[in-house]
Amino acid sequence: MESWLQAAPGWVASLPDGLQTLLFQLYQTFVYQDRWTWYANGLKITFLVTLGALILGVIIGMLIAVIRTAHDSQRAGKHNPILGVLNAVSRVYLTVIRGTPMMVQLLISCFVIMVPKDETGRLICGIVTLGINSGAYVAEIARSGLMSISAGQMEAGRSLGLNYRQTMWYIIIPQAIKNILPALGNEMITLLKDTSLVSVIALRDVTKQAQNIVANTYTPYVPYISLAVIYLVIVIILTKLLGILERRLRASDRR
Amino acid sequence: MIDVRNLHKSFGSHAVLKGVNEHIEKGEKVVIIGPSGSGKSTFLRCLNLLEEPTSGDIVFEGQNITSKQTDINLVRRKMGMVFQQFNLFPHLTVKENIKLAPVKLKVMTDAEADKRAMELLERVGLPDKADSYPIQLSGGQQQRIAIARALAMNPDVMLFDEPTSALDPEMVGEVLEIMKELADDGMTMVVVTHEMGFAREVGTRVLFMDGGNIVEQNEPKAFFENPQNPRLKEFLSKVL
Repeated sequence: MESWLQAAPGWVASLPDGLQTLLFQLYQTFVYQDRWTWYANGLKITFLVTLGALILGVIIGMLIAVIRTAHDSQRAGKHNPILGVLNAVSRVYLTVIRGTPMMVQLLISCFVIMVPKDETGRLICGIVTLGINSGAYVAEIARSGLMSISAGQMEAGRSLGLNYRQTMWYIIIPQAIKNILPALGNEMITLLKDTSLVSVIALRDVTKQAQNIVANTYTPYVPYISLAVIYLVIVIILTKLLGILERRLRASDRR
Repeated sequence: MIDVRNLHKSFGSHAVLKGVNEHIEKGEKVVIIGPSGSGKSTFLRCLNLLEEPTSGDIVFEGQNITSKQTDINLVRRKMGMVFQQFNLFPHLTVKENIKLAPVKLKVMTDAEADKRAMELLERVGLPDKADSYPIQLSGGQQQRIAIARALAMNPDVMLFDEPTSALDPEMVGEVLEIMKELADDGMTMVVVTHEMGFAREVGTRVLFMDGGNIVEQNEPKAFFENPQNPRLKEFLSKVL
């Protein structure tokens, strides 16, 4: 701190002690050794994991939701055995994933099942695990979305000669997505924050980077508060973007 | 054109259709009336297998559509259907509603479907609504669009399931007018309705269903002026 004070502009010395310390810690957290790039690099990992897991989660979630809805909408006495098996698998998946903590899933997936050797491997492991986890929550959101579409829409599609898959794809799913967007946006925000857990598998996301800075400066105050502010700002921006997207999609509802 | 043999349909233990036999010729306009719960909508929905019959056969253009080997999706292209609740696709514009099936089923190119959609909109009198969304239209307009959508696949027969029952009274006329024009163009039609005026004026044959069976049928004039079945007499005395 002494050497920093000497190098700093003269007005710093005239500040009260508390402010001097704060400035010094800010300097240590962001400027010294270009540590802001640590945060920036960490954010890249955080975004990569969020985006990858989100895409995977939505794919898995939609798939499970369609399986479960198709299974539940079968006529009594006419059960497709393949659909029955898929439905049973889906239910086990939902129960296990929603019944265990994400942290435990990460530990098991990356230290017991996949055991990645390098940074890229760990990144993939993190994305896959979070994606599988998110899929379970997206599945239930998507299922409620599919169930919110009236049966008449399916009948109208089928009566035109479209098959079940085409009707789902062109008619039911686009409407369902619009209905579930707020809930899906919520899931994305949860997911973004949950990516902070990947530090346990030594992925250098933004949380891990903040920990690294603390390990160098021994002062947790500024690095961790800054970390919280970073997450908060991203979440606020995402919320705004989702609001805009929602308004766009609602264009067909305007009278 | 449509041959229905000994058609049964039950929902669980509740028998709705109890052995219906009926033959519909090309060009006929068959109007089905009857009290609610008589099975008339179920009968209509069985014709394109939206309801799967419990037993019995339905032969359409020489093909037994109840058989497992039949690709029902191909059959349905030839059978247009109009619903009580319109069931337009709310996320698509009017023109997209009409174009969806022909384009996605690769029956027409996008340009052909565009041209066809505009022709049909012209026909139902709503060409200026091509780029509107369904929710921006009145019930009557929505039902006219639904008719246009069903016609886009050039069906051989049109099925109408109480097409005017969900409409405000003042909008019933515009929909019936379109249906009448369609009938005059020679379309084969099967119509479930409560509009007795339409049945009398447009129908070539009127069926009366009660308790899961067709209990009386005749050409409209004799049907309304000289009913035989006591149940039909009672029904007509209430609705006319």
